[in-house]
Amino acid sequence: MDEKRARFEAEVLPHLDAAYRFARWLTHAPADADDIVQEAVLRAFRGFDALRGSDVKAWLLAIVRNCHSTAFRQRQRRAFVPLPEENDAQYGYAMRSNIPDPQDESIRRDERRTLEKLIAALPEEHRTVLMLREIEEMDYRQIAQVTSVPIGTVMSRLARSRAALKARWLLETAGEPRAVR
Amino acid sequence: MRCAESLRVQAYFDGEVDAVSAVEIERHAEHCGECRTLLKDLEQVRAALRRSAAYAHASPALRTSISRALDQDGAAPVQDMRERDIRGPAAPTRRIRPFWLGALAGVGASAVAVACAFLLVLPRLGNPLIDELASAHVRSLMPAHLIDVVSTDRHTVKPWFAGHTDVSPVVADFEPQGFRLMGGRADYLDRQRSAVVVYQHGAHVINVFSWAGDGRGLPADVSRNGYHFVFWKSGNLDYCAVSDTARDELLSLVRLLQDLGARDRGE
Ligand SMILES: [Zn+2]
Repeated sequence: MDEKRARFEAEVLPHLDAAYRFARWLTHAPADADDIVQEAVLRAFRGFDALRGSDVKAWLLAIVRNCHSTAFRQRQRRAFVPLPEENDAQYGYAMRSNIPDPQDESIRRDERRTLEKLIAALPEEHRTVLMLREIEEMDYRQIAQVTSVPIGTVMSRLARSRAALKARWLLETAGEPRAVR
Repeated sequence: MRCAESLRVQAYFDGEVDAVSAVEIERHAEHCGECRTLLKDLEQVRAALRRSAAYAHASPALRTSISRALDQDGAAPVQDMRERDIRGPAAPTRRIRPFWLGALAGVGASAVAVACAFLLVLPRLGNPLIDELASAHVRSLMPAHLIDVVSTDRHTVKPWFAGHTDVSPVVADFEPQGFRLMGGRADYLDRQRSAVVVYQHGAHVINVFSWAGDGRGLPADVSRNGYHFVFWKSGNLDYCAVSDTARDELLSLVRLLQDLGARDRGE
């Protein structure tokens, strides 16, 4: 293995899971996410010589986003189908040694399904900043880099997506006693 | 209708403001019911998302497929390059799925160029300790390298270190605070043995390295390649926490560990 490849595997591939999660939120469809990530990683590899230091994760996720928007423009959007459980079992790989308490499990599954539906219903640019912040735990500067918008825009999109999610969450779970803790 | 401070309050919640602004915002929230509600809502949305969002991983099939594609890409001979020059740039020969043919051919290169453009100015940090920590953290993310002793019980992890390293770091499970103890690992840093305590925080792995301090100063906290490095001293040990989790989240784990260290020493 040559030096570039070794360096690439050490610096970029550790962010593969983050890239995959990000692609999942962009596309909804696991198979499309696989394609986008693979394309993005190849492009990252070709552009890797030019990269010196800096935030590799934000760089890789920006490429994922570019690959997605290019692909997206090229075709009609497929109708969104909420992810069924089987798809998760087939494509999603649970966090290492994250063994949930079985009692919590069914509650979590309900909550997860509701949330996934609500997240999917958000406009893409809102969904993207929200998940980059809350799940990838990127800071405003990194999110601005990934989404190519100014930090002020990141902040207002975050505020709007959080408010929308909260409002819809309340609507969705109205009447269920354990809904909002 | 919204309080004019709401974006600043959000920035405070996200750990994006300095200490002075933080005090101002806390004072504001004491008197502004709207902002207090906002803070509570932000916390609820975050908790629900982190509890429920699917922490999907790239499948082994995708990893294999990427590895194979990189093999082909890296092995592309000079002749291939010349052919490509002749045929023009839009000649992707190695697409995995025909669906992408054409779709990504021409545009991608410029997208990468744009993505690269603002990264070129940033220099690589030359501290060898940080380099070692970074590669040890990355190594740990490779399958099967993460943990030598898998346990969520500090009474298992702590004695294990005694037998495998010269270092006895603070170990505790902080699951209620969102940092789940996963286990421990022995590693080498600066040619000496170090103990690594591994935590899981949402989708992120946190490695807490510790080694016998020799009185030398520690590097300043730094962020690099999407990872944050936070250093501190406690007792006779040097510590560094490394993760791609948010910096303020990492700092809250560090504070928990510092408090625990101080309690252990009876301070
Ligand atoms: Zn206010």
